[in-house]
Order: sequence, then C-alpha cells, then structure tokens
Amino acid sequence: MKMIFGFLIAMAVLVLLPAADFAFAAGDEPGEYLDRRVVIWNLFYKLMTVAFTVGAVVSGTMIWQCWRFRESHPKAKPTAYEGTDW
Amino acid sequence: MGLHCSCYCIDGWVGAEAWEAERLVEHVPEDAETIIVTGQQWFWTFEHEDGTKEIGELHVEVGKAYKFDIISKDVNHAFNIHDYVVLLDAIPGRVNTVWFAPDKVGEHDIQCREYCGLIHYNMRGTLYVTEPTS
Repeated sequence: MKMIFGFLIAMAVLVLLPAADFAFAAGDEPGEYLDRRVVIWNLFYKLMTVAFTVGAVVSGTMIWQCWRFRESHPKAKPTAYEGTDW
Repeated sequence: MGLHCSCYCIDGWVGAEAWEAERLVEHVPEDAETIIVTGQQWFWTFEHEDGTKEIGELHVEVGKAYKFDIISKDVNHAFNIHDYVVLLDAIPGRVNTVWFAPDKVGEHDIQCREYCGLIHYNMRGTLYVTEPTS
C-alpha cells in the first residue's frame, strides 16, 4: 500500500502537476504563442513510445511463454491430461 | 493486480497527454486575427478582418496569431497547411475554427485534403509568411 501511494505521489510530482500547470498557463500572455507543431508532434512521439513499449512487453511475454512452457524445457512438467509415461 | 495497475496508469497517462495537447491546441489566443476561409470547388478564398480578400493565396505576418473560420459553399473540403500542421474540415452549414501563429518567413503549400470532385487535386493555394509591417 505504501508503495502504491509513493508511486502515485511520484507520478503526480513528475508528470501530472507540471502537465496541468503547463496546460492552464498556456496562451495567456499576449504575443507568446505555442507552436502547434511542437505540441502535436510531441504527443505523437510520446504515444508512439508508449505503443512500442507496450508492444515489446506483450510480445516479449508471449515469446517467453512459448520458450518457457515448451515440451523440451528442462523444467517442463507434463499435465495429467498428457500422461506421465515419458 | 500489478498488471491491472500498470494498464490503468498507462491508460490514464495516455489520456492525460492527449487531453492536454488538445486543450493547448484549441486554446485560441485573445488577440488572434480572424480570417474567414471559404472552400468551394475548386479554390480557397480568404477574407481578412479589414475586408481584404485573397483567392488562392494568403498573406500573413510572422509573430501574429491567426484564427481561421472555415466554411464551405458547396461540398465537404478540408483546409490544410501541411508545414504548420493545420488541418480542419470545411463543411457546408458549419463554421470550424483552428488557429496558428507563423514563426518564420517563408512560403508554404495550402491544399484541400478531402476529395471534393474532379479538380480536387488542384485545389491548392500558397501561404506567404512575411515580416511584420508594424
């Protein structure tokens, strides 16, 4: 529980508060305009990073499962359905 | 539990980032000059606040913000300034709004991004970004 609270506080300090501050402060100063290219491409790169990271974790897990639970793995244990005569 | 927590965190983060970007991009500065952009088969017309009209080309100044009120006279079009990541549909009966602030002198392509008929491919224009006059 402490770890979750710590994690949430860390996320709030590192990501959420600066993001909210930046969002609410944007565009209030006359003559200072944000560059929509920067905002849009930043979002694109962040989301691509998330997508590729999630993809790597998911596919890595599947590859590990195939490797770990193959019949020829040294630690493989046959199930009752497969019989025990090998 | 850990996996669920990670999924919620990632979903929350992605949603927050997208929300923030949308909010930033849609926040029109108060001092933005309004330009009425009219799409029709097969050219663009631009009307500045002082009544000046331009056809097929648009002159703006560096360091100013511009708000485009985009309308269409006939079919669906899409107003696009590729170099400034400006892209919004022009729909008959609607006024769609997008804004941008050019930061460098130069020429950029304007083009229609919604197939709108035979000469859609040539529904182009040029954006001229010039030095500020005052």
